[in-house]
Amino acid sequence: MSNFYYVPQEQIMKDRAEFAQKGIARGRSIVAAIYDQGVVLVAENPSASLYKISEVYDRLAFAGVGKYNEFDRLREAGIRWADTTGFTYSREDVEARALANYYAQYLGDTFSNGSKPLEVEVLVAQLGSGSRPTKLYRIGYEGTISDEARFAVLGGDAESIRARFAYASIEIAPLATTLQRAISALAGPDRTIASVDLEVAILEDRGSRRTFSRIAEADFDRLRA
Amino acid sequence: MGLPLFDATSDPGPSFLAFANASGLTLSAGHERDLSPHATTVVALRCDSGVVMVADRQATGGYIASRDVRKIEAADSFTGIAISGSAAMGIEFIRFAQLSFEHYEKMSEMALSLEGKANYLSPLIRYNNFSLGLMVLPMLAGWDQSRRQGRIFEYDGAGGCYERSDFATIGSGTPFAESTLRLGFRSDLTQSEALELAALAIYEAGDNDPSTGGPDFVRNLFPMMVTITEAGFEELPQEFAATTFRTILERRTASGGMAGGTLR
Repeated sequence: MSNFYYVPQEQIMKDRAEFAQKGIARGRSIVAAIYDQGVVLVAENPSASLYKISEVYDRLAFAGVGKYNEFDRLREAGIRWADTTGFTYSREDVEARALANYYAQYLGDTFSNGSKPLEVEVLVAQLGSGSRPTKLYRIGYEGTISDEARFAVLGGDAESIRARFAYASIEIAPLATTLQRAISALAGPDRTIASVDLEVAILEDRGSRRTFSRIAEADFDRLRA
Repeated sequence: MGLPLFDATSDPGPSFLAFANASGLTLSAGHERDLSPHATTVVALRCDSGVVMVADRQATGGYIASRDVRKIEAADSFTGIAISGSAAMGIEFIRFAQLSFEHYEKMSEMALSLEGKANYLSPLIRYNNFSLGLMVLPMLAGWDQSRRQGRIFEYDGAGGCYERSDFATIGSGTPFAESTLRLGFRSDLTQSEALELAALAIYEAGDNDPSTGGPDFVRNLFPMMVTITEAGFEELPQEFAATTFRTILERRTASGGMAGGTLR
C-alpha cells in the first residue's frame, strides 16, 4: 500500500508561502526611500554589528530582512557578482537590474524546488547617474520582483508601514525629512524607536567613486533634530 | 556569470583570490614577455609625514612604447601600489589588488590592515612569476592607521614580502636610484626633503638606465609624485613635478652634467 497522498500544487505553494511569511514576520522591517540627493535605507536593527544593509558596489546597496544567515549569503553573492562583473567589463557595467534578476531567479527556484523556501526579502538599490535612473528593486521570498517608484518596504509589517510612509511623504524630500518619515513609519503611532536600534545608510554622490556610507547614530540624531 | 553562491563548507570568504580560484577565474595566462612593454623604476621613502613615492612614466619594449604610463595607483585611500615589469601584467595586477582590498572591505564590513594587504600580494606574485614565467614586481606603501606611521613593503620574485624601514626601489633603474637614496637618506627627512631626494633618484635612473624615462621637458611629461599621509593618498600636480625636476636640471646644467661630489 502506498504511503503517498495526493496534495494539490496549490496547497503546496500555499504552505510554502505561509512558512516563508511566518519566518519573515519574525524580524523587523526596512524602509528604503529616494530623497532629493540619493537613496536612504533605514532598518530597525538592535545589533550594531550584524548589518541588514550593505554596500554592494560603487552605486549599489543591498538590504535584507528575515533570516540573517540566508540574506547574508545573498549579500555576499551580490558583492562577488558585482566585483567580478566590474573587473571583467567596466565599473559602469555593474547594474542593479541584472543583480535583482539573479536574486529573483534564485529565490524563485528555491521557493518551488528547494527543500524549504528562503525566509527572506531583499532589496537592491541603485543611485542613478547620467542616463541611468535611481532604482529600488524589491525581491520577495517567492522570487517576485518589483520595481518600486519612490520607496520600498521590506518585512513582516510591510503593508501598514507602507501605508504610513506613503501617507506622510507625497513628494521627494531632503534627507533629514525622509529619514524622519521612514523612522516614524517603521515605529507606527504607538511607539518610538531608540536611535541605538536603527541602522541607517545612504547612497549619495559626494565626489568619490563609492557612494555608500553608513550614518552613525550621533549623526542622525542631529539629522532628526 | 550567475549568482556566485557557495555552501558554508566551500565558501571562499572575503578573499577575492580564493573566490577567483574557487570559481575558475584566473589572471590572464600566457608568455607575454615579448609582447608587452616593460615599465620601470619606482622609489618610495619614509619621511616624517608618512611615505612619498616617485615613478618614471616610460614603458619600454625594445623601443619606447609609451611616455605617460602611470606606475603608481591608489590601491585604496591610504595605500599606494606601484609596479615594475610587464606593463600588461602590472596593470592587471594593480586592478586585481584594488578590487581585492575593496572586496574584502565590503564582504567583511572592515578594511584590511596595511600588513594584511602587503601579505595578500605574496601569493599573487608567486602565481604570476612561477606559472607564467614573467616578472611583475610590485611595491606597496601606505599609511598604517593603527600604528599611525608610513610603511613600505617590497617583494622578491618568489613573493617574499619584506618591510623596509627606510626606502625601497623597484625596476631596471634600481642600481642608480638606490645609490642616490643610500647617499641621501636620513631617518628624519621632512616630506619636502623626501620628495626632492626621491625625484633626484628617479633623475639619476633616467640619466643612466635606457629603460627609465627622465623628465620630458619637450612634451611636459614628468614623473609621478605621490604622498601618503594621515590625510591619505595624494598625487601631486604635474606642475609641482615640473618645478622639482627643473631645479635638478638647472643645478646639473650649472655643474656641466656632473653631480659634483654632492647630491645636487
